[in-house]
Amino acid sequence: MPLVEARGLTRTYRKGEQEIRPLDGLDLDIDAGRFVALMGPSGSGKSTLLNLLAGIDRPTAGSLVVDGVDLAALSRRELAEWRSRKVSIVFQLYNLVPVLTAYENVELPLLLHDLPRRERHARVVRALERAHIAHRHDHMPRQLSGGEEQRVAIARAIVTEPALLLADEPTGDLDRSSAESILDLLSSLHRDEGRTIVMVTHDPRAAERAQATLHLEKGRVAETIARTGAKESSRAPANTEAHA
Amino acid sequence: MRRLPFEYSVRNLGRSPLRLSLAFAGALLVAALATAAAALLLGMDRALSASALHANAIVLGSGSEESLERSEIQPAVASILAASVPGIPAIAGTALVSPEAVMALPVEIGDDPEPRRALVRGVEPAALLLHPGVRVVEGRFPERGASDLAGEAMVGLRAERQLALPPGSLSLGTRVRIEGSEFVVVGRFEAPGSVMEPEIWAPLSDVLAAAKRTTISCVVVALDPEGGAALQDLAAFAARRLDLEIAVLSEEEYFASLRRFFAPLRWMIVVAAALVAIGAVLGGLNTLHAAFASRSREVGTLQALGYGRGAVLLSFAQESLLLTAAASIAAVLLCRALLDGVGIAFSMGTFAFRVDATAVAAGLAAGLALALLGALVSALASLRRTIPEALRAP
Repeated sequence: MPLVEARGLTRTYRKGEQEIRPLDGLDLDIDAGRFVALMGPSGSGKSTLLNLLAGIDRPTAGSLVVDGVDLAALSRRELAEWRSRKVSIVFQLYNLVPVLTAYENVELPLLLHDLPRRERHARVVRALERAHIAHRHDHMPRQLSGGEEQRVAIARAIVTEPALLLADEPTGDLDRSSAESILDLLSSLHRDEGRTIVMVTHDPRAAERAQATLHLEKGRVAETIARTGAKESSRAPANTEAHA
Repeated sequence: MRRLPFEYSVRNLGRSPLRLSLAFAGALLVAALATAAAALLLGMDRALSASALHANAIVLGSGSEESLERSEIQPAVASILAASVPGIPAIAGTALVSPEAVMALPVEIGDDPEPRRALVRGVEPAALLLHPGVRVVEGRFPERGASDLAGEAMVGLRAERQLALPPGSLSLGTRVRIEGSEFVVVGRFEAPGSVMEPEIWAPLSDVLAAAKRTTISCVVVALDPEGGAALQDLAAFAARRLDLEIAVLSEEEYFASLRRFFAPLRWMIVVAAALVAIGAVLGGLNTLHAAFASRSREVGTLQALGYGRGAVLLSFAQESLLLTAAASIAAVLLCRALLDGVGIAFSMGTFAFRVDATAVAAGLAAGLALALLGALVSALASLRRTIPEALRAP
């Protein structure tokens, strides 16, 4: 059974008299342990899909099952609880809490769990070490570079051991060198720990790190590019159900 | 509900020193206004209640419309009353009748040539019997004609504060000039909570001479609850002796009429304080709202991490409460230091600000209300956005 199973996923908004439909009946399966990139022009539905996968938005129609849970059936409170356990997001602008240290930022999602202090500490330290940022644990976000901030954000994202790690343009605000090191980190999280990662990006080089790239257009998957190695890829034509 | 760490609220306070200062000033103003208004209203109530004695009547000029300031009666009225109304209580052969002249007069203290407006009460020794709340605590009661060079006076314990003088300025031996006439302070008295404690008392004839006045303001007469002189007897006497042009009230009625007279003032105090407080509340709300609104993306992030709306609201409330609690405590301490005991003079005495537990509670309650209102309004505005909208905020 896929980790993510979307059927007829539709999201509409009203903007005055106009109805906007960023997702229009999208079908999608993502297996556990996959690294998937989402690409597409602005307004193609990438961010909307990511928001739905993150449980911070709800579909207007269709179903979305993540790790066996139908997200549309959850109440607001249940959805918040689900988010704290099953999913994490790495944002383009890092979104660290500026008044908390790197350590405290990473600890923040763990405070939602019933964990003994010692266990919490161990997990925070492990996440910071995994993101290669443990040496900056007592620094405030303003004292960190963009790349360092994103490492802290990734540590915060993995500290809860989520089933699904989402990244929204994680290198979009970084210089080339920092971007490469962040992509290396995401790749190693997938390769070494088998994490399932869905990454929205505009950067083809970033997308090449993923096992599959889903090109979205007008709220549907227009094309799926699957890679078995760095250079090797196969293209599937536009279809009604994408499998990554 | 899982809460955000308390440190988060505390550290958020220091994010913008300017906003913190503005919000602190707004909350301080609101709490200080509430404290001051409550202190003044409580002071008025207490003064007008503590000054009235059930067993006394007050005789005023008939055209005075119950105003001591406008009242003028002949000094002889006191002795005529004592001789004509049967049953007025007496102690050691002295009828309990106290002729008094109450005036706001310019007074120079010590070497300071700057005159200050003080309430001066010309009295005779019987005054102490008619005003049992007044007690000489230092020195003695002033005597008439003790010296050709200077009269004698005694001052209430709150007179220094009322006249904005440093402590010790009206100690025994201090010379004061009332309308140019020299007096020496020979006594100090207390009259807790009454309108008289900030006054200067001197012998009636000396005060009349200093003020170049021939009429007195009132005569306070003791009533006898055990069958002697009753209020009706005095009223009947006043009705018979139209030539004296006097009117009779019980002291309770007199102070009740004063309370009625000051009712509009009380409302003005409440309304003025409320209007300024509303302005300060809106300013404070605006500042708090701006502070919270600037953190929309952060609020979205916290929600994306799994924190519920309640946790965010509680965190905002904690932050707001910390700020306003500090401001409110500062406000009540300031009021206590600067206002407590400061009086506002009127014809029959002085209203003193009473920064007691009730006034402090009013100030703290106003601060608490601002905190909760500020947090609620700002948090609800922030939380009205969907999480994706909040995450897109600048």
